[in-house]
Amino acid sequence: MRLGGDGMVVGISIVSCCAVLVCTMFLNFYFDVVSIKNEITSELSMAFYNAQVSTAKVVCLVSGGCLLITSVVMLLFYIKHYIDIHKKELAILKALGYSNLKIAKNFWVFGISVLIGTATGFGGAFLLMPSFYELQNEDKILPEIAIHFHPSILFYFVVLPTVAFAAIAIFYACYKLKTPVLSLLKNDFHQSCAKAKKRSDAACNPSNRSFIADLKKNTLKSKKSLGFFIIFASFCFSAMTQMSFSMKDLSSEMMGAMILLIGLVLAFTTLFLAITTVINGNKKTIAMMRVFGYSHKQCCTAILGGYRPLSYIGFALGTVYQYALLRVMVDIVFKDMEGVPAYEFDFPMMLVSLAVFIFVYEMLMRIYSEKIKKISVKEIMLES
Amino acid sequence: MIEIKDISKSYGSGESRCNVLKGISLKINDGDFAVILGASGSGKSTLMNIMSGLEKPESGQVIYNDMDITELSDKKLVEFRKENTGFIFQQYYLLPNMNVDKNVKMGADLAGNKDYKAIIDAVGLGEKLHKYPSELSGGEQQRVSVARALAKKPKILFLDEPTGALDEQTGRQVLDYICKLQKEYGFTIIMVTHNLNIAEMAKTVIKMNSGKLSEIYTNKTQKTAYEIGW
Repeated sequence: MRLGGDGMVVGISIVSCCAVLVCTMFLNFYFDVVSIKNEITSELSMAFYNAQVSTAKVVCLVSGGCLLITSVVMLLFYIKHYIDIHKKELAILKALGYSNLKIAKNFWVFGISVLIGTATGFGGAFLLMPSFYELQNEDKILPEIAIHFHPSILFYFVVLPTVAFAAIAIFYACYKLKTPVLSLLKNDFHQSCAKAKKRSDAACNPSNRSFIADLKKNTLKSKKSLGFFIIFASFCFSAMTQMSFSMKDLSSEMMGAMILLIGLVLAFTTLFLAITTVINGNKKTIAMMRVFGYSHKQCCTAILGGYRPLSYIGFALGTVYQYALLRVMVDIVFKDMEGVPAYEFDFPMMLVSLAVFIFVYEMLMRIYSEKIKKISVKEIMLES
Repeated sequence: MIEIKDISKSYGSGESRCNVLKGISLKINDGDFAVILGASGSGKSTLMNIMSGLEKPESGQVIYNDMDITELSDKKLVEFRKENTGFIFQQYYLLPNMNVDKNVKMGADLAGNKDYKAIIDAVGLGEKLHKYPSELSGGEQQRVSVARALAKKPKILFLDEPTGALDEQTGRQVLDYICKLQKEYGFTIIMVTHNLNIAEMAKTVIKMNSGKLSEIYTNKTQKTAYEIGW
């Protein structure tokens, strides 16, 4: 089985890499800082110690968990997408007599993309760890914290996810392959009856909306997971950019830069994958619209326009998230620490971030609109 | 009237270069029912794609009401198609996530046609307005694509093997609907087919062979969809 196609595999690797990088760094630090607990004597050091332990836990749980969920959703979405575009080949294998399990077993290779990501993240974390440890204890409040290798972290963050994701891929593929051969063989321009029937009741009320408005709504509804990815991408952009600048007084520049980098990588990777999938999945619709005489602008509005409100929702959620997270850190985690600067919502930073977000998003949509322009009507017809 | 002057088209380059159309010229009058007949690979679909502005020729002109559409920009071509053409394909190309009503609306909205439901009734699908393509038979799907094409009130209807994926009975039914609607609305039909029998329904028959016109003739009498062989 060959992976690839639309770069979704790369996306899974990038998200897993970011998740493991952040979690390994903080968990390794957590284990190492816990091991020096007995050496702490002063009250100030203990308060600082408690704050560091809580920070590591919060970051691991919130950021790592968030990224882990995204990786799982992305992987499931990719397997579904992979099956959808290769269902004819899979149907032929089934028709030839291959069992579902035998075909699904080949999906273990999806674990490789996770392995590449997690291993890179794990290695990257160890590269960054010396500077990270130094920064976490730059005022030397705690005794010297040595970096130790914890095999359990390697197991839980690299080995286990790889095996688990490979197993998820096999079981999910097995589940999807339960579809009868004839349904798989049907042209992908047709939909399963069951799915269509589910919606038919809702669609029975004739709408007065224009075709473009209907198509916009339909594009959004047909692949809800893509909506999730758009929200997630803007969430990452909003939360990480604002957080990296808002916490400049609370943390080091390096932390800020790291958060900014991870946020931007995640945002752009997810956005790129989601929009590419939207366009690839609607190539035939776009081609037919152009055959019928719909303008380029109308095609873009119908296919991409519906995602704009979602991106703003994601931005708003990201803003709330970063504020809540920093508030929790300052009010709960660092409450016993002296000299922690007051934290207030950075409204100007939010406006700057929003302006940059709008500019970047619209530029990306412009690039993708050019991609839509290049879709060849003839090519689409020859594909069928 | 559509006038085609010395159209040539080839694909590939070097040794694999294939001349699909070799200097084709012809005229099709308004309101005509023209069939382009030829074996697979004769260039008939390419000719139709060029006539409809979906493809550009390497040389030659396609003149529609004194306007050479081969000279039009992509934007102008889209406008041309919006105002003049309708398409029906062998593969239907219906939008899978939209019901019959919305699929037909795709064509109707372009012409500002609010009465498009009359066309859905005319093709016998009034009762299936809210059905999705996957819930329809092949013949019904093709009738939706007929309604979608006609809802935009085209001046020329291009059909590429419209009965290719249908059984005999359904194929006849679809052709019968198209002919009846042509009589009612008066549009020009340009149909590509390899089925010799369907050519008996046409007024003008254009035969193609290896990228060239081999024969053009006019049928003295046009048979109905139920009179032709299959």
